[in-house]
Amino acid sequence: MSSLEIKHLFGLRGVSKHDIRLILDHAKQFREILERPVKKVPSLRGMTVVNLFFENSTRTRTSFELAEKRLSADTVNFASSNSSVKKGETLVDTLRNIEAMKIDIVVVRHKGTGVPKFLADNSNAIIVNAGDGAHEHPTQALLDMLTIEEKLGTLEGKNVTIIGDIRHSRVARSNLWGMSTMGAHVTLCGPSTLVPRNTDLMNHVTWEPDVKKAVANADAIIALRLQKERMDDALLPSMREYRNTFGITEELLENAKDKVIIMHPGPINRGVELDSDIADGEHSVILDQVTNGVAVRMAVLFLLAGGRNNENA
Amino acid sequence: MKMRKPSSSEFPIAVLKNAKFWNGKSFELRDEVRLTSGQEGKAVEYDCKGALVIPALFGFGLDFMEPLRDDVYTCADGVDAMLRGGFYGGLYESAANPIDDADKLTAAENRFSSFGCLGGSFDIKFLGAYSKGFGTDSLAEMMELAESDVVAGFGDGNGVIPHSRFLRLAMEYGKMTGKRFFFQPMDKTLRHSGCVHEGAYSDMLGMKGIPRIAETIAAYTVLETARFLQVPVHFKQVTCGETLELVRDARKKGMDVTCDVGLYHLLLDDSCLETLDSAYHILPPIRSAADRDALWQGIVDGTVDAISMNHTPVLRQDTVVNFEDSVPGALSLEVALPAIWNKLVAKVGEARAIELLSTAPARLAGSTPVANNVVVFAPDKPHVVVESDFAGHVCNSPLLGKELPSSILAIYINGFWKEM
Repeated sequence: MSSLEIKHLFGLRGVSKHDIRLILDHAKQFREILERPVKKVPSLRGMTVVNLFFENSTRTRTSFELAEKRLSADTVNFASSNSSVKKGETLVDTLRNIEAMKIDIVVVRHKGTGVPKFLADNSNAIIVNAGDGAHEHPTQALLDMLTIEEKLGTLEGKNVTIIGDIRHSRVARSNLWGMSTMGAHVTLCGPSTLVPRNTDLMNHVTWEPDVKKAVANADAIIALRLQKERMDDALLPSMREYRNTFGITEELLENAKDKVIIMHPGPINRGVELDSDIADGEHSVILDQVTNGVAVRMAVLFLLAGGRNNENA
Repeated sequence: MKMRKPSSSEFPIAVLKNAKFWNGKSFELRDEVRLTSGQEGKAVEYDCKGALVIPALFGFGLDFMEPLRDDVYTCADGVDAMLRGGFYGGLYESAANPIDDADKLTAAENRFSSFGCLGGSFDIKFLGAYSKGFGTDSLAEMMELAESDVVAGFGDGNGVIPHSRFLRLAMEYGKMTGKRFFFQPMDKTLRHSGCVHEGAYSDMLGMKGIPRIAETIAAYTVLETARFLQVPVHFKQVTCGETLELVRDARKKGMDVTCDVGLYHLLLDDSCLETLDSAYHILPPIRSAADRDALWQGIVDGTVDAISMNHTPVLRQDTVVNFEDSVPGALSLEVALPAIWNKLVAKVGEARAIELLSTAPARLAGSTPVANNVVVFAPDKPHVVVESDFAGHVCNSPLLGKELPSSILAIYINGFWKEM
């Protein structure tokens, strides 16, 4: 089957191996196209994509926008800071108004868990989740998976360690679902105040409080961004202590495999979750992630739109 | 849009035929039962075809939102909901309009009686506030409020418990009234910005949770203050077994402690969060399956005194949003009996079921049930819940669209007859 089973992309929990494989394989093809002198394909010509961002975003929105333009879609950016949402318009009214302008795909980011599903329940558009609360950020996880496959050949049997603020991370949640489906062993590590308190429904992954043990067998390490407001909320004492305890440093990597790759969803707090030497060093694949982000988003949009003009891809 | 709004008619006399009538101990089949409201006039005849005739219910946890949006939901709608669900009375505890002096009590009573039809016929009791404006600066005029027999006790809506000093002062002063204090045990700082039960589902979905200790720490604080001051207390909508354990321990020590659990807390568990449907946004939160089982154990062993309706209308535009941005609350009066009866009877039998839904909450609120107020009920006749089942211009219930195992066939309350 060369089409997706899913109709929208809300998250990676429950998404089949077939669908993830299909997205990653298409992303690899789009990745090649991005290396060509002419990077544009006509796959989504005539389709309109709205980027509906209720939270600030620079890189994810830019990545989506670039993916849409590379696919020849018409794109509209809608940010809540300059929209009628500020005037009290409800979420569903906002969507219906945009939908009335005959759009095809909505890429949405919102602080609330489940907003993409809510929008899908209330519209006819194809919905792509660009991050909903602390729930999921599926395209980030897909680009992480693409990067691991690109660098390590496969996800099957690989050890992936995610370090940091797991509790508040949509990136971590999408990765633990997606990577587990694809056969990777996921280990999660973070301060006790920043990991989920009840992991009964996430017990297919390993929880390791000792960061040295967490990195010891890792083939890939994903460092999560630490939000500064965690200090204000008494979840951590200081950036300094976090860096010394959970930061990815040269010293910590002495415990890891020689060929381990270091990843980060960005933007990086240099000297906090990741030392500059590591972010810019030989293990880092962070800029590859950024490039793969465009390819993955092209694949998601292309496949959800029904694979039209498949021959042009 | 709602298409149907069942109307009721005045019939001073109701003649129910072929009914299984509750005699106080069991249901017995009678060819004919004649019910009167004490007035002469025309009679209605109804063939129950073997259906149960159950004493009308008394609802805890009523909030009809009035007068905030009287274009959407009024006390008249609330009374209509009571009639549809078979409630002859209830304990009204507005979350938005504190009854903190005698004038506000009069205004609240007037809102129920000013409709000229049903309001004055229902036995509505009120919770007086113990603070002015649900705050922590000034005490409400509890002594004056307590002079009215419609004031069942004191409680500050469904807010978190106040800081310990104010709690002590409120109970110390309120003790003079001899009335019971009602609390929904919730610690403000531990609740923080949570909106669902803190557990496996909230962590899986990345939603902000409310831990059990937000309830137990608050309950313990209340109990310790009540023990110190010798004041009777009631816990509203207990959600977990740990709080029931505190109640059991307190009773063993001789304290006068009562409690209720919410209808939906007995029917649901937090796996419903997977749907991300704002209809399940209820506070206090729906907890885990283990918590639900513990509440049922409290029902079985007698720790739980009553089942609360926690009936809360929410504007449609406040429910047609994503879960975390929705306003919590659910309607329950219209669907409670068909939703819970069979489960209750299977667990504790008919007598205890009637006690939990009718006599016990009535006793706690100081209401005396009238034997002639009844619900004609078919326990084995399924009913799919539709919008028009609900009174007013709202239908926020997690049971909307679901099939209930039982149906209410007719109601007879204080001379008002309604067939469904």
